[in-house]
Amino acid sequence: MIVTFYLNDVQVSYLVKPGEYLAETLRNHGVKSVKVGCNESSCGSCTLLIEGKPMMSCSVLTASIEGKHITTVEGIQEEAAKISRFFSNEGADQCGFCNTGFALTIYSLKRELKNPTDEEIKDYIVGNLCRCSGLYSHLKAIKAYLKEE
Amino acid sequence: MKINEYYRPSSLEDAYLKLQEDSKNVILAGGLWIKKMGQSINTIVDLSTLGLNQISENKNEVIVGSMVTQRDFEKSEIIKGLFGGAIAFSVREVMGVNFRNIATIGGSIMGRYPFSDVICGLLPYDVTLEFYPKQEISLEDYLNYKGKLNAILVSIHIKKEKGIGFYKKVKMTALDFPIINFAVSIVNGKYRIAVGSRPMVASLAHKAMDYINGLDKIDQESYKKAAEIASEELSYLDNKDASKEYRLDLTKVYVKRGLEEVSK
Repeated sequence: MIVTFYLNDVQVSYLVKPGEYLAETLRNHGVKSVKVGCNESSCGSCTLLIEGKPMMSCSVLTASIEGKHITTVEGIQEEAAKISRFFSNEGADQCGFCNTGFALTIYSLKRELKNPTDEEIKDYIVGNLCRCSGLYSHLKAIKAYLKEE
Repeated sequence: MKINEYYRPSSLEDAYLKLQEDSKNVILAGGLWIKKMGQSINTIVDLSTLGLNQISENKNEVIVGSMVTQRDFEKSEIIKGLFGGAIAFSVREVMGVNFRNIATIGGSIMGRYPFSDVICGLLPYDVTLEFYPKQEISLEDYLNYKGKLNAILVSIHIKKEKGIGFYKKVKMTALDFPIINFAVSIVNGKYRIAVGSRPMVASLAHKAMDYINGLDKIDQESYKKAAEIASEELSYLDNKDASKEYRLDLTKVYVKRGLEEVSK
């Protein structure tokens, strides 16, 4: 079947299998920034934005996103560069596998929560696993990023 | 997992008819459990374009479309305003935001998952499920219903009543299923107690409720006694997360604590 949607504001039409998941479709079409870790909606590496909301693309059927707007890290390059700078300042940036999912989640957090507390930030990033760090450096990096604006 | 066909119905009737065509046709709500189970599906019927993602209210009840995502549900001012925010809080305990933006309230209920925070969190309130073809069943009756109900969940009706609730999910990490979960409420002066993930789907502890609601005078000892009754009347089992004995002990502690909290 053919599914048409907007990938970072560019209309695309892909031939997909009915049971194909979005992470797989995007990677098949060269969007390798979408990482697949656990492939069972636990690790969050495949997180991207659908209509502006963070979702795990390993568990969203491509067929179901007809006409919708998908944002990957390529669509938020400027913000992603900033987030990445704060990550490296705090040593949160180690192997990098979780970074794209994290960047999109943090980008969305900033838009959704006003002046969040530490607990609210922690709640929001649950479901984005980093196996290199203890996530404390992420919290510090996120707080610095939110403060900068 | 194999899905042979994806179908976007034009109406509930259309969805229902498609579902009847083959026993291997299934409804797609959020789709997270379908993915996890890896079952073989003939046609997957996607309800996402039928406008079932709205939350509304009238004088007597709050009506939640079955396709409302868990995230939209927990953020809704209407839901947050119910029973001191206890129902909204219970749903916030499910995985992360990137999961709850996919998972739906209807999908969580229809699956009757033993580990469900959504079911346990809703159980101690007056909740009715509306199905297509037209049929209304209380949440508790649906949980006790034997076999698979051949109908599509359209909406969840939560009766507006005066009361407050308590919710506790005992878990090892933020991403875990609960070891056990508790929802306690006091609605119109009557206590209700639900215990889930024992590790079976949540149930109301009727004997404990009858005991405490039948007392003329309630004190610390009554909370303790009601918690003990709840630990005796419901069934508990071992699994890899916890032993039966541990779950029994947690019940004695958290049911008591829940009763105390809602009595304040």
